Amino acid sequence: MKIIRQFVAILIAVLAFICFAPTAWGFCGFYVAKADTKLYNKASEVIIAREGDRTILTMANDYQGNVKDFAIVVPVPVVLQQEQVRVGDPKIIQRLDAFSAPRLVEYFDPDPCADGDFSAGFGTRGGAPIPRSAARNRNAESALGVTIESRFTVGEYDILILSARESNGLETWLKTNGYRIPQGGSQLLQPYIRQNMKFFVAKVNLSEFEKSGYKFLRPLQMAYESPRFMLPIRLGMLNATSEQDLIAYILSPKGQTEITNYRTVKIPSNTQIPLFVKNEFGEFYKAMFQTAYTREGKNAAFIEYAWDMGGCDPCSAEPLNPEELRQSGVFWLTPGSGTNVFITRLHLRYTRDKFPEDLTFQETSNRQFFQGRYILRHPFRGEIKCEAGQGYQRLLAERFEREAQTLAQLTGWNIQQIRQKMPVTALESPKIPFWRNIWP
Amino acid sequence: MLLKDVRDYQILFLSLFLVLGVATRDWTLRLDFILVAIATCCTMQWLLSSLWPRFGFYQFIKKENFPEKLPPIQPSFRSALITALGLSLLLRCEHFSTIILAGTLAILSKFIFQFERKHFFNPANFGIISVLLLTKDAWVSPGQWGDDWWYALIFLGTGGMVLKRVGRWDTTAAFLGSYAVLEAIRNLWLGWTWDVFFHRLMSGSLLLFALFMITDPRSIPNSRSGRLIWAISIATLSFILRNQFFISTAVFWALFALSPLTLILDKIWLAPRFYWSAVNRLKPAIYPQIDS
Repeated sequence: MKIIRQFVAILIAVLAFICFAPTAWGFCGFYVAKADTKLYNKASEVIIAREGDRTILTMANDYQGNVKDFAIVVPVPVVLQQEQVRVGDPKIIQRLDAFSAPRLVEYFDPDPCADGDFSAGFGTRGGAPIPRSAARNRNAESALGVTIESRFTVGEYDILILSARESNGLETWLKTNGYRIPQGGSQLLQPYIRQNMKFFVAKVNLSEFEKSGYKFLRPLQMAYESPRFMLPIRLGMLNATSEQDLIAYILSPKGQTEITNYRTVKIPSNTQIPLFVKNEFGEFYKAMFQTAYTREGKNAAFIEYAWDMGGCDPCSAEPLNPEELRQSGVFWLTPGSGTNVFITRLHLRYTRDKFPEDLTFQETSNRQFFQGRYILRHPFRGEIKCEAGQGYQRLLAERFEREAQTLAQLTGWNIQQIRQKMPVTALESPKIPFWRNIWP
Repeated sequence: MLLKDVRDYQILFLSLFLVLGVATRDWTLRLDFILVAIATCCTMQWLLSSLWPRFGFYQFIKKENFPEKLPPIQPSFRSALITALGLSLLLRCEHFSTIILAGTLAILSKFIFQFERKHFFNPANFGIISVLLLTKDAWVSPGQWGDDWWYALIFLGTGGMVLKRVGRWDTTAAFLGSYAVLEAIRNLWLGWTWDVFFHRLMSGSLLLFALFMITDPRSIPNSRSGRLIWAISIATLSFILRNQFFISTAVFWALFALSPLTLILDKIWLAPRFYWSAVNRLKPAIYPQIDS
């Protein structure tokens, strides 16, 4: 096996597993449930910590069916030994999610009658991060040419690393061993076999699972070295008709990570939106993401967050401490060296026709910070007793209208309904042309 | 005067791409970086054109019998501008110093790496590779154009207009043709569906490279046979670097590595050299690409 590892250049990569999607398909592998259990899905989440050719990949497991039916097949670039596979703490993915989630911020207008410029807000504070769910509510071996390269149990998982010579053999092997391969699976396995990749096959060891005392399956983590920086999404799209979401938290000591074979664009950000969105931020974000996704042609990846992990402004959650970073796979930190970790949160919504190829990534030296940030600006609520106040209220009416327009543009929501939800200003409502009543 | 020189078309199209990229592709390009690139390239071009001959580097050339008398070196601001626009389109960095270094080295390469007064590195490519190697601040985004068909049409249309005038369509055709064949064979062997193949070939960055960078008539081989071999070699090396070594910016490295091959190919297949002035004066047909 060591020899294999030496041929790093030949080892193609990919990795990945997990992923659970609408029916039985996950993003980088497919489920091969042993029974026709209905699988539920949410967004797939993956953490990739990478420096040079070294990678630690963490795949969230949000499988919610009966654990005895859980099984996945994921292409991996190299043969993995027991010590290269770990079971992670599910909380770490929640932590990264909370830290990097798109956020609302609030500002309060000062008294327009007091000295000073009331065009600028003051007193920022972090709004609630998008609730976790809202953001992704989107939310006879040798004869067959199959070799078991290694076999071990990690945590609640029984793991096999297979190599295969041809796809029909692999398909037959999986079927005879009780895995249910989707129609057309064999055809899709072939490119990975030809690229010399191995297959990571995991199912749940029930006695270990019961011993562990956990209710849910924990994330799987794998460490490997390969020049190839990619995620196999094709297998997971086999026969899938609906859109799938993937959120990748990519940690690098260098800077932002971008996708090299699709566009990487920033999610609309830093816009001022009406106050009522505070109570429906999840809905807002979903609608906005869908609008942006459609506008960009449905074949781009969105950056939702790019920041040095040492800080945040405003923070939607405390920065991760060194121990948490270690748990999320960051392996290059040494005690006392500070936290040299740059996070890029990429959100992809993909379908078979728009994303024909597996994702490939590259890290860049881009250390520009970016966050999905949406601004609420509260008008001054106190009593207004000066002339300037009149002007302020007129401006306020215009501002509300502008916010309504922005919101309609970002989300595709009906502008009339937005206007109805907005507060009425003390003065006349702004001059809205009469035709807007019927032609918003 | 405007648009009399093919390089004017080139400048026009490259500027158009910059505007398109910023307006429609969500690039975070900074205007000041573009201005710095232009200022650096033009200043270097002017400085070197005036200083270089004084060092006497061209003494020996004057004694040789060239088909036409060599004109004194004129600062070629058009070429410098094309280099600057090419850098702005492709190179991304955080600091001014990186852009200045890239622009300086790009123009300097035209003066240093030349043989019988023909430079053999594409200046923009040289600038990009230099800063990728020398600094930790530079990167290239191969996915920045996406793979939408209408960008492909724009690149093919504008590239075609320029190539027709410069007479270097053979280079683009040889490069894209051989690269496509290699990718098709790989696709077939791996058993991917054909949309994977088309997705790889429709990459805006690949097309832009094929149409506007490897066709610079001043630095590529003079003879058609030479150019065909040259373009096919670059395609092959790009293919290997991309698929075997997983280098996302393979085309730039391949062009850089194989540029010196121009000298050998020019020795084997003799052909008249390309001059902008000749094209503009006589009217033969030859013109440029991202850099001349």
